[in-house]
Amino acid sequence: MKQKMTAIRIEIENAIPDRRLEKWAAEARASLNVPLAAIEEIKVYKIAGGTAKNLAAVFTDPVLQQAHFRNKEYKFLHGAPAFVVDVGFRAGVTDNPGNAAAEALALSGITARVASGSLYFLFGDFDAIGAEKVTRELLANDLIQKTEVYAANDFYARDRFKDVLLPEVIRTSDASVEKISLDIMDSGLVYLSRDRCLALSVDELKHVRDAFKTRPTDVELEIIAQSWSEHCRHKIFGAEIDYNGEKIDSLYKTYVKSSTENVKKARKLDWLVSVFSDNAGIVRFDDNIDLCIKVETHNSPSALDPYGGALTGILGVNRDILGAGLGARPIANTDVFCFAPPDMPLLAEEEFMPQGVKAPRRVLEGVHKGVEDGGNKSGIPTVNGAFFFDRDYAGKPLVFVGTVGVLPHKLPDGRAAAEKQAHIGDRIFMIGGAIGADGIHGATFSSMEIDENAPATAVQIGDPLTQKRMSDFLLEARDLGLYSAITDNGAGGLSSSVGEMAQMTNGAKIDLALCPVKYPGLKPWELMVSESQERMTVAVPPEHAKAFQERAARHGVTATDIGAFTDSDNLEVFYNKEQVACLPLDFLHNSLPQMKLKAEWNGGKPRANWSAETKLQDRTRMAESLDAALLQLLQSPNITSKEKWVRAYDHEVQAATHIKPFADGGVIWLKPHGGSKDNGVAIGCGLAPRLSLHDPYLMAQCAVDEAVRNVVAAGGDPDMCCLLDNFCWPDPVQSAKNPEGTYRLGQLVRACQGLYDICLAYGMPLVSGKDSMKNDFKGKDKGGRDIAFGVLPTLLATAMACVKIGTAPTSYFCAAGDLIYLLGTNSKGLGGSEYAHIYNVPSESPTIDLAGNIALYRKIRGALPLFSSLHDVSEGGLLVALAESMIAGHAGAKLSVPLDATTAFNEAPGRFVASVPAAKKGSFEKIFDAQPIGVVTADAQLLFNDMAIPLESLSFAWKKGF
Amino acid sequence: MTQPSFLVLSGDGINCERETAAAFRVAGAKTDILHINDLATAPETLMQYDGMAIPGGFSFGDELGSGQILALKIRHAIGPAFFDFIAAGKPIIGICNGFQVLVKLGLLPYPETQKRVVALAPNAQGGFTDRWVRLEPVKNSVCKWTEGMDAFDLPIRHGEGRIVFSDDAIYPELLENGQIALAYGEDVNGSHQRIAGLCDPSGLVFGLMPHPEAFAYQATNPSPQRDFMAAGAGAKIFKNIVTRLTETQKEKIYAN
Repeated sequence: MKQKMTAIRIEIENAIPDRRLEKWAAEARASLNVPLAAIEEIKVYKIAGGTAKNLAAVFTDPVLQQAHFRNKEYKFLHGAPAFVVDVGFRAGVTDNPGNAAAEALALSGITARVASGSLYFLFGDFDAIGAEKVTRELLANDLIQKTEVYAANDFYARDRFKDVLLPEVIRTSDASVEKISLDIMDSGLVYLSRDRCLALSVDELKHVRDAFKTRPTDVELEIIAQSWSEHCRHKIFGAEIDYNGEKIDSLYKTYVKSSTENVKKARKLDWLVSVFSDNAGIVRFDDNIDLCIKVETHNSPSALDPYGGALTGILGVNRDILGAGLGARPIANTDVFCFAPPDMPLLAEEEFMPQGVKAPRRVLEGVHKGVEDGGNKSGIPTVNGAFFFDRDYAGKPLVFVGTVGVLPHKLPDGRAAAEKQAHIGDRIFMIGGAIGADGIHGATFSSMEIDENAPATAVQIGDPLTQKRMSDFLLEARDLGLYSAITDNGAGGLSSSVGEMAQMTNGAKIDLALCPVKYPGLKPWELMVSESQERMTVAVPPEHAKAFQERAARHGVTATDIGAFTDSDNLEVFYNKEQVACLPLDFLHNSLPQMKLKAEWNGGKPRANWSAETKLQDRTRMAESLDAALLQLLQSPNITSKEKWVRAYDHEVQAATHIKPFADGGVIWLKPHGGSKDNGVAIGCGLAPRLSLHDPYLMAQCAVDEAVRNVVAAGGDPDMCCLLDNFCWPDPVQSAKNPEGTYRLGQLVRACQGLYDICLAYGMPLVSGKDSMKNDFKGKDKGGRDIAFGVLPTLLATAMACVKIGTAPTSYFCAAGDLIYLLGTNSKGLGGSEYAHIYNVPSESPTIDLAGNIALYRKIRGALPLFSSLHDVSEGGLLVALAESMIAGHAGAKLSVPLDATTAFNEAPGRFVASVPAAKKGSFEKIFDAQPIGVVTADAQLLFNDMAIPLESLSFAWKKGF
Repeated sequence: MTQPSFLVLSGDGINCERETAAAFRVAGAKTDILHINDLATAPETLMQYDGMAIPGGFSFGDELGSGQILALKIRHAIGPAFFDFIAAGKPIIGICNGFQVLVKLGLLPYPETQKRVVALAPNAQGGFTDRWVRLEPVKNSVCKWTEGMDAFDLPIRHGEGRIVFSDDAIYPELLENGQIALAYGEDVNGSHQRIAGLCDPSGLVFGLMPHPEAFAYQATNPSPQRDFMAAGAGAKIFKNIVTRLTETQKEKIYAN
């Protein structure tokens, strides 16, 4: 890749300072130890191939900005800058501002290519090393951006408006296809898999050789690698497992799928429309519409480029919904992040941090911004989410993104919207963006642990505008009856989308030379597996092909006919009419031998590896008095207010958000989406990763229980509630490199057993799920030592329940005089609690009463009018839940029962803090068999034992944030 | 009697067209959601409508400044038909991103000269924010959309909503003309004199940052209401203009 072609350069000066830059400067002072006094930004555009007189009118707002076309020394309030940093995208990286600018120019008839960038002026007394640090950590990501740091004098000495170059991808490779011999020694197969980023084992490559060909083409081998990747195939979840000597034939079949089948049978459920077969689970909670829901993870890309990774993650799960049934409309997003603490590393911890991974604070900011832009720019409200912080996520952050969508029961032409069926002869259309080298090997890369050599092509930036246009177009084409089947082009690109859809007719034939490309020089295998974003694959009956293409063009969407569905038994791939791959579908999808793995469980083990207290600073403290501990807990990142982060998400676009995301569960009103007048849906989430250190069986159940309590507190019906499971595990396959594999797989089995048991006990079906099994870091720490560690075994449970609009109590205290109750069994163990994490105290596991819990949730649902408020007891335990109810309700509380550290701070599941008008005491206690633990007061303090804490102190601590 | 009809613009990243159209329908109007590219193929159809809305969203991803490219597109692709529509005295509302578009087209505050004297700059606090805020209609305002309204609450959801004037003389002049339509009850984004909405001298061209279409029903009120189907405060803005058009049509019918 090199640069050529001279161009026009424009620099845009702002009249009003940008507050965002002040935050960055503060950030540099606080976390990078660089005395950066201020930053100023000048936006830069480079235009190649066209010119116009009135460029300033296109690029500026005359009241706010001024455009410059020749060298200029800028005057800033802060005096002279110390350094100037020039930042631009690397060749081939999606440049959204540049592309939009090119569209703007096209409106006045100018055809040009535009590249965008920024000049950052850094002020303060620091050296070049400091400037480099600020550039690397704050201003740019080296994987996607090119940066140059200049001393201010050197910068102004250049004529930057002469010989202006745009980044340009120059690929000299031809479209040739290579045949690859598999008839080689095992060691050769190992190298082959590694060098080509195939993530296939020696046994799998031998299976290709024996059951298919000894010399497959590179296209064939790449298609196989994508289809068989852990990311796409979930081989570990489908493996035969020897668990403490007992045989388990697939965790998925044994615990996930069968739990849904058994729940469905036992409860005679008639509202499961589609589970585990489509892009998303589909349920019928309404007389007019169906709901679909899907949660995905985007961990590996988010580790490398937090912003781009999260943005492509959210847009990707939106496409899952657009590809569910015949295409659903996204109505809500969810997001859950598991990161290392935002204040990590403390100075003493710095040398132990993994090399090549972004600092926790950068990951947090970047991922958050990605989710913000992904949701806001697509017009989808973000209604539920969570942040969980633990140091074991420092090597691989977990980014869970979910989407809920709606489908009508029937389309205007009478077809059931939840069913798709491609027919022989249907044309295969690729729609959306063009293909580039970006996003090659995403599926296989995420099936390996992260190391310093992760491929840059696996990093991408999403383009919400292209996707929004595609989404508007698809929903229109769906209602016009223009297509028969659709799926998302996600992991594995065309190889997965066409390969999977081909099973509907038992064959497909495509010509890759027809695909629109971002630049020439892509090889056929690259076109086949590229995961370039914002693309979907659609089956269009030939008689509708013309209309489909015309409507696409009207929406500004590229739609390309690349082939047809057949009944040839094969996936046939051509390049310019020459066959480059022919794979029997049966071999591709059904022949892979089941993996055989070993798992053991003999009880939990304490944290090992890098994060053991001996290496990282011991942050635990001696126990303190209850009031001091409460104030400490309220400002812990796992508990403190996330309001400022949540408010950056548009949580009410589409005008249907009934309960906003500051309560336990968000609620979407379904009437604006075509549902019944008083119908709604509540969405909640739960996770309890630290309990994995005690017992993943309990971890899984506490995660599910928390998600369920979220929706119950929002008025959800526990008998109309479905669940999703998203497992993120450290590598559970034993090997010389991974000596903990057997134990980790044992943990996974325990978690699945816990999940199965709670689903049956609660009578709730799993409708969709995903597993991500390689959440490890293997490499060096910043001190140069070898380190390898995985994330805490994490299950995210998501619950979606039917709600009657207008029936939910608030999550906060509403009226002085209301009686306070603690509902649910107050089990004792501090295990897994935030308190036990902060303080050095013995911690036993809490217990869970499955039958008691679900009985309580059903009672609550039947008695909603009795409640003033209802709030689930989760992180921090009872006292924190009380404080939260007080802070949001601006109320006081006086407790009449004595508390000790265990009763105050344990995080046992199954509990709520409720407030009830005194007048309803009788009827309430008859139903719930409970005694008040206190009363809501008008006096702004929390009174318990002999302590009094002013509401103001609670509020101050909780609102501290991060 | 015919119902007033409104064109609600969609496409290119506009994303509040459905709820905006719904709010007009509840107020008694007929609505068509029309893609800008469809309108561009037959701009003359615009004049068949009694009013128009440019809804909120992120047109063109907010690149080059929010509303900038959509404004350019309206100027180039719809062109005279759009400006004729305004000149004919037909009401138009720009909500959030739509307000930004009206400002970047120069339609606010002075549609006749299209002189650029106002801008919507990035929020003073930096970044996008979604929150509910008290709004106060300005007493002497000529705005036809907010007529007869007392203080009410609506959500704001924007990153670039801070009103800035090109010089100090503009604000007193607009205030005097009754063109300052809405003010925030508190400082939410650094906007000059807490301005939330502006109108042209006729009061028919109206732009505001808050989202009235997001509070058409009590169901979306952040303080829970049992009577969730009752009208929210935002509904009145749509009702005002629809009623006005209906009355005008009645008068025309009687006159004939």
